[in-house]
Amino acid sequence: MEYKLKIKEETLSIDIKCHEENTAKAIIEDQEYDLKYSRISENELHLMVNGKNINAYISQTPDGKTIMLNGKVYKIQDEDKISKGPKKRKGVSGPSIVTPPMPAVVIAVTVKEGDPVEKGQGVVVVSAMKMETTLCAPYKGIVARVNVAEKDKVMPGQILVDIDPENIDPENINPENIEETKPGELAN
Amino acid sequence: MFKKILIANRGEIALRIINTCKDMGIETVSVYSDVDEKAIHVLSSDEAVYIGAPEPSESYLNIDKIIRAAKLSNAEAIHPGYGFLAENADFAARCEQEDIVFIGPCAKAIRDLGDKITSRKIMVESQVPVTPGLTNTEADPDVMAKEAEKVGYPVLIKATAGGGGKGIRIVNSPDEMAEACASASREALNAFGNGEIYLEKFFTNARHIEFQILADSFGNTIHVLERECSIQRRHQKIIEETPANVLTPALREEMGAAAVAAAKAAGYVNAGTVEFLLDSENKFYFLEINTRLQVEHPITEMVTGIDLVRQQLEIAAGNKLSLTQKDIVSRGHAIECRIYAEDPANGFFPSPGKIEFLKEPKGPGIRNDCGVYTGFEVPVEYDPIISKLVVHAETRPQAIDKMVKALKDYIILGVRTPIDFLMDVMKSQPFSKGDVYTNFIETHFPDWSENFDESDIAAIAYVLDEMCGKKIVTGTSGYNEQTPFSTLGNWRL
Repeated sequence: MEYKLKIKEETLSIDIKCHEENTAKAIIEDQEYDLKYSRISENELHLMVNGKNINAYISQTPDGKTIMLNGKVYKIQDEDKISKGPKKRKGVSGPSIVTPPMPAVVIAVTVKEGDPVEKGQGVVVVSAMKMETTLCAPYKGIVARVNVAEKDKVMPGQILVDIDPENIDPENINPENIEETKPGELAN
Repeated sequence: MFKKILIANRGEIALRIINTCKDMGIETVSVYSDVDEKAIHVLSSDEAVYIGAPEPSESYLNIDKIIRAAKLSNAEAIHPGYGFLAENADFAARCEQEDIVFIGPCAKAIRDLGDKITSRKIMVESQVPVTPGLTNTEADPDVMAKEAEKVGYPVLIKATAGGGGKGIRIVNSPDEMAEACASASREALNAFGNGEIYLEKFFTNARHIEFQILADSFGNTIHVLERECSIQRRHQKIIEETPANVLTPALREEMGAAAVAAAKAAGYVNAGTVEFLLDSENKFYFLEINTRLQVEHPITEMVTGIDLVRQQLEIAAGNKLSLTQKDIVSRGHAIECRIYAEDPANGFFPSPGKIEFLKEPKGPGIRNDCGVYTGFEVPVEYDPIISKLVVHAETRPQAIDKMVKALKDYIILGVRTPIDFLMDVMKSQPFSKGDVYTNFIETHFPDWSENFDESDIAAIAYVLDEMCGKKIVTGTSGYNEQTPFSTLGNWRL
């Protein structure tokens, strides 16, 4: 069987043939690997690769698998399974919506419906693990709707504030909607 | 000794305190917010009291609720851990009023030492060297600029209240002074409700070295040696070790004596930490006293064999220190790495989430003070610390090797952690040479990213995980599962 796997920016082609007794042979870019494997738990595989023992730890993520090997973290996606969703419009690079970069709690909403906002103006402050981040308007416009209130828990991808663009020029969208990040109170 | 105490904290430090209480036969009461119903400190204590909503102000920072929980459970004393209410003078005072023992220094010492100007004055009067600069607050940027000429640029404009890197500006030249004063003051006013600022010299190439202090209420004060805590990100320590390789025995003795003098000058009782800056000429300056148990206390415990939480409890119960200065000897070398839920390849941004899988490193000389377990959701509301990985070995190089091995064996899936980053730091030339300064990360690892040397194996693991199903293989395939009970012969009595 052949897989095309994406690790960071790199794509690896791996051809694998399974034999009896949990053994297999893999070929990756002309390199041959003799494999023995057994599952230890849902998240653990014990591998013997060309006679050497290796423990791999695996968790499923929404868009692939995370694998820990010798202290390093590999995020891997199957190219065939990467959703062929709507491609981003040309000329629009980076986020064009107001969304947190990580799961967070809303600390403050600094705009209300109908407010005009400038590109780069702070609209929502969120906090994750005592680190505050100000989310900014990605373009100039009018606040159409505020979808969150203080103390709400929010996730990446969730649109916190809808902004109706004013004379939107796609070339002019700010790729960086995170203005400033500052450490919160520290415990030491 | 107390029969029952309440721990006004959560996660790994609450568990750490509970462990010593269990050793001593003291019953423990935990407190918890909505998101911590199944947190490790709740599962490990004898009793647990619900105190409210996840926001710290509604739960772990809420003095009334903590006091009520202590009364409700008949706890005689409260251990605050670190963070939250640990350095809150009002909380310590309230405990005193309510006839509950606060396991820490008295309210006055916390208040005096929490104010940077007051603590600088106390130290100057007791001839403890402080960083060159002002010992009064100053609002006029021109006066600040004059003082800066005197001590030499760069200087720090610092808020007298608070901490955690807020209300601090580095000023490199006179033309930056006015703006720096205004913004530091504004930030401090917003964060702490007090916009007062002062000036001190900024050392670009300095080490952060602190001394552990123990003081009883009979006037006995000793130090329990130093910790080297120079490696920091966002003004927060991430790697600590002891002993500090830069200290000669003579310098250690001198700094230890200064630390004891500083604690005595402040009327300090219980465990505390005196922080110093050590400049490139090995001159040291008092920074501040942390009036609590430090995050990094385990490295001191590893090299001295002293349980610092036990000492805190003994002192708070009114007992005399059983240790004298000459009882304090250290053996070997200890290193701590803080394991946060954060992404080292993305500016150390927080990475909250559910722990999908956890396997802690084990072996001689390895200690992991861990506050999570498989299946636990790391809340977004609190400090991102997951655990503190500590190793102890005969020598510094051996301790580094042991830390690399321990990090390699530490598996955390579900949230991003800096384990791979910490391995790179441990294996780096500057760390192994002991060239550690407060600007270490910015200097040597400014834009760190993952380096993959086993992508092939990871790819193989991916495919085999897909192919071999989720069924767990036990024994040899084709045979029935064998257990000692199915292969054991008859019992002979």
